[in-house]
Amino acid sequence: MDMMDCTQARDRLSEYQDGALDAVAAEALAVHMRGCGECAGCAGSLLAVRELLRGLPPDPAPPELLARVLAAVEAEDRDARADGAPGGADATRPFLSRFRIPLEAAAAVLLFASIYWYQRAEPPMIRPPSSTMAAKEEATKARAGRSPAPVSRPVPKTAKEEAPVAATTGKARTWTAGDLPAAPAIRASSDSERIVPVAPPAEPGTKGDTAAGAPAFEERRRPVAGGSPDSLPPRVFAAPPSRLFRPLPYGREIMLNVAPEDRGGAEERIAAAALRLGGIVERIERGPPGAAPSAAGTVRVILPESAATRFLEEMDRIGTIPPEGKPAATDLPAGPRPGTVAYAVRIRVR
Amino acid sequence: METPGGKGHPVDLLVEAFRQGKPGAFEAIVRAHQGRVYSFCARMLPDREDALDAAQEVFLSAWRNLKGFRGEAALSTWLLRIAANRCLNRIRRRKSLSEHEAPWPEPAGEEGEGPIFQPVGSKVDYPDRIAENREMGEILAEALSRLDPGSRWMVLLSDVEGFSYEEIAALAEVPVGTVKSRLHRARMALRRMLSPVA
Repeated sequence: MDMMDCTQARDRLSEYQDGALDAVAAEALAVHMRGCGECAGCAGSLLAVRELLRGLPPDPAPPELLARVLAAVEAEDRDARADGAPGGADATRPFLSRFRIPLEAAAAVLLFASIYWYQRAEPPMIRPPSSTMAAKEEATKARAGRSPAPVSRPVPKTAKEEAPVAATTGKARTWTAGDLPAAPAIRASSDSERIVPVAPPAEPGTKGDTAAGAPAFEERRRPVAGGSPDSLPPRVFAAPPSRLFRPLPYGREIMLNVAPEDRGGAEERIAAAALRLGGIVERIERGPPGAAPSAAGTVRVILPESAATRFLEEMDRIGTIPPEGKPAATDLPAGPRPGTVAYAVRIRVR
Repeated sequence: METPGGKGHPVDLLVEAFRQGKPGAFEAIVRAHQGRVYSFCARMLPDREDALDAAQEVFLSAWRNLKGFRGEAALSTWLLRIAANRCLNRIRRRKSLSEHEAPWPEPAGEEGEGPIFQPVGSKVDYPDRIAENREMGEILAEALSRLDPGSRWMVLLSDVEGFSYEEIAALAEVPVGTVKSRLHRARMALRRMLSPVA
């Protein structure tokens, strides 16, 4: 059994006297007190204080307490009855707190209702500018000939509002441009054209997408003469996202098939070729740690533009570039700087 | 009729009578519990008028909410809980903490070296005699009033009213361990305060 010092013993006296200590701790404390007169005296005096507290007689309540309580209850009960509610606990509550729904919920319902009615309401009519007032009045006069019922608002709100008008005219109402508010339309400037993706100028002699039946870039910019407006491509007024916010991709992937026996050290050989040709190795990606030796890898290199052809020849010596993955000599991938090219050589074991 | 902690208490007939709307039921409830409630309030709040107001609030609150009283605890326990909350609110609201609390001087040396309250039966049987003495009640009330209010109500509920650690912890919304340590510190402080008397 652990020995207990006086501090520990005194800290546990209350729990000991309450019987809240476990058996081992209680026995240890009892053993300590048998050998320590001061702690035993402390325990005795503490017990005496607690006995005094326990025996503390209740103060007699002043006689006015009962009278005051009954008077207050009577007053609340009277107020509640005056409000028309039956007596009782609920009746004595303030008026609003009798409702089970809190005020916050009521406020939320009110807010929701206001938003709902606001959205249902007709949007405010745009007042036509003074320069178009005459045209508007003419349109109104012309409409008056068709429809005897003057329409104060040009745009019908609901079908219910439309129905009486249709009933008086005997036919479905047709709306013309003159019925619409003569607010100035937002139009593109005369310089605006449809924004199309910027394609690089085609090489002389290459077919480009013209061969696929699509009009050439310059042809697409020209509107079709004599064509209907519907045949025109829709105008796009939004500006494209700035190129500043787009990454500038550069480089081109080359798939390099290597034989299984040549797989080992393929990355190093590619990197050495790039370095030999005056380039740099940007990154070698070997796949996750612990990957099989035959796993794919990628070597990203940046070379002088003049060394691109020789680099591809070097790659042909290390492995085989499938025909579909072999870039043309003139198709130089862009590098991070002018005059540089970048390749990502992906190694595949075949 | 009721156990102090509220466990195993019988159905309170007065509460049932009040729920049934019988006249005089609430007055009987006040009569039965006003001594305990007022005593608690008077020990928590040194000002008599304050204690009277607090006790009145307790019974008024009980009258408003007695229909919702589910009987999970004894009525006296429920009333004392209300009383504890009301008194603590009053103490907080009036910032009377610093006004009412005069720190009792700590003993100069270690706890064991200072004068201690003599155990029952030592020297003369003074504590027994004092317990019967009205003066001792006043001395005890004075010592209680010098406790920090946050500990005082725990001592009153635990050692005077017989609440368990768990009930006080639930009422104070603190862990049981916190209640134990605060109670122990408060009891030891009371013991030091009362030692000169012995």
